[in-house]
Amino acid sequence: MEVEDKELRGGAESVLNLAQGSSISIRYHSLFGDYNDLLLLEADEAFLPDILQNRVTIRGQTNEEAVLCTPSATYAMKSVGTSNSVFLIPPGKPILVSVNDTCSDNKANPSAVTEEVSSIIKVASTNMELVLVAPSLDKLKSLLHERPYKLNEDLEVESRGNVGLYRWHDLLEQIQASEQELKDGLKLFSAVEIDGFWRVIDGKTMDEILSMVLNNSILQGWPLNALKEDEVVSVLETDGYPQKIILHCLETFGIMVEGSDGKLWSLDEKKVCLHFALVALGGGMMKLDIFLQKWKHSVPSGMQADLKMLEGEVLYEKLGFETWIHAFRASALPSSPAMRFAALFRERSKWEWKDLEPYIRDLRVPGLSLEGLLIKYTRRTQPSADVEPIFSASVGDIPENYVHQWYTKDMFMKAYSRFIKPIPGEEDWPHEDHAPSGPPTCNVLPGRPRK
Amino acid sequence: MQIRVKCNCSDEKCPEWAIVELQGVVESQSNIGDQIHDLEIGKLCCSSSSSSSQPRYTFTVGYHELSGTKVYLKKPLLVLKKKVAEDAAALPEFPASSTPELEVIGIICQKILFKTRPKALISSTVSILQAIFKLLLLNFISSFIL
Repeated sequence: MEVEDKELRGGAESVLNLAQGSSISIRYHSLFGDYNDLLLLEADEAFLPDILQNRVTIRGQTNEEAVLCTPSATYAMKSVGTSNSVFLIPPGKPILVSVNDTCSDNKANPSAVTEEVSSIIKVASTNMELVLVAPSLDKLKSLLHERPYKLNEDLEVESRGNVGLYRWHDLLEQIQASEQELKDGLKLFSAVEIDGFWRVIDGKTMDEILSMVLNNSILQGWPLNALKEDEVVSVLETDGYPQKIILHCLETFGIMVEGSDGKLWSLDEKKVCLHFALVALGGGMMKLDIFLQKWKHSVPSGMQADLKMLEGEVLYEKLGFETWIHAFRASALPSSPAMRFAALFRERSKWEWKDLEPYIRDLRVPGLSLEGLLIKYTRRTQPSADVEPIFSASVGDIPENYVHQWYTKDMFMKAYSRFIKPIPGEEDWPHEDHAPSGPPTCNVLPGRPRK
Repeated sequence: MQIRVKCNCSDEKCPEWAIVELQGVVESQSNIGDQIHDLEIGKLCCSSSSSSSQPRYTFTVGYHELSGTKVYLKKPLLVLKKKVAEDAAALPEFPASSTPELEVIGIICQKILFKTRPKALISSTVSILQAIFKLLLLNFISSFIL
């Protein structure tokens, strides 16, 4: 370490603190080379404290583009090239003020009469730039759904081991997101940590436990807006349900209220009704009035089912005189904008704003508003001013495809790739004391001038 | 896979590196070949300018002179060095023995930028010769016209 430091000395201070009127010789370092293990990373001021406190990690599989994660944000790393020569000068020892001090670094060149020398170690042709990006949570979703938690899964043939199960640090290894974003993502997909593994709970299991809670509330006379946690857990545990899953169910469908005697849970009307709507719909299409009948029948008494609750969860379709309804959940769609819009336009080729909005309002792209996303991924048509605008898929092209290749950067670089010799210009012409030469005098010859 | 970015610089004082940036490429003469180590590229001078408060820098490379200024980078550059972690014991969360990591070994906050084209330096003897030649030429032309 000590040796290395000494070798990499370049005298950067003396370059940066060069006093007015003085000069310094710049030369190649005796260890000048490619140094592919040296990278330049452009860092925001806001991001420096994280770096200095060792809280930054680069994440990505070998087939993914690397991202850089601080505790709370994710940045894409872009390599930016330059055609300039960027000479890197390593730091050096503090330069002494006295002018006749000689720098001992480079004794190799005996002809140097200068007192100070700075050495360049590498010519850097690229540096890394950071761009704030959204975390890739779709992968998290697919990993979590590899093996959802089922009741009595321990009784299954125990051959799968831990395949398809992920601990917190497994997820950190796999997912390109910061720790905070990963935590939020797990919450978003309502995952729960069971025996150290992060799991999502199978839909059937959730349904079963919710019905058990509701049935017991009728039997025991529990109020739905104040379920006592201890009571619920103890009753359901006697039926053989694990405590962790019961609590997760309460958390998914309710809100915790601190009561005077222990923890109380209030079931959320919207969440519970939505759950029953999806159960009632199943997978297929249904006539609206039949669905409404079935749904209103299935929700627990005291709760009011309302179609407004199904925004972003179902789509309606008019076939003849009938309105049909089918499930189309925003939460099941991909989170990257391009994939999201592709999925949406596969479902329908034309969208009205009121239908489209619930499916895209959760899209978050750093540096791009919802308006910007619409401009990028959709084409807006409005036949007349009093008609609602319709959004359809945009051509999805990049402008570069429409520009001639002569205007590309590659061509520009090619055109100037050869060495261009500087030539002396007007300002280098010698000056002389002669009167400036003017135009020749015009001699008027005798006779009438010709027309 | 995770690559830790480490920084051993204590109390927010990373060693500061410097950049000298210029347009185009510096080429060494063909007879030097690859023996460029310890070779002098040029001379960097800091000249006091009369008008602006910013000092001007000139960089003389061969017969070319560049002029530029010192620029403070809006976003500082960090110099990272790829390393293979040896002290895996110190990081129990990352037990794999050969995990690569990046270490911050420096920071660059300012550079000396030469963004104009180089100016050719013409030695004085040449220009005197040229002047004499031009004078002769002018005389010759004027006599011819008259």
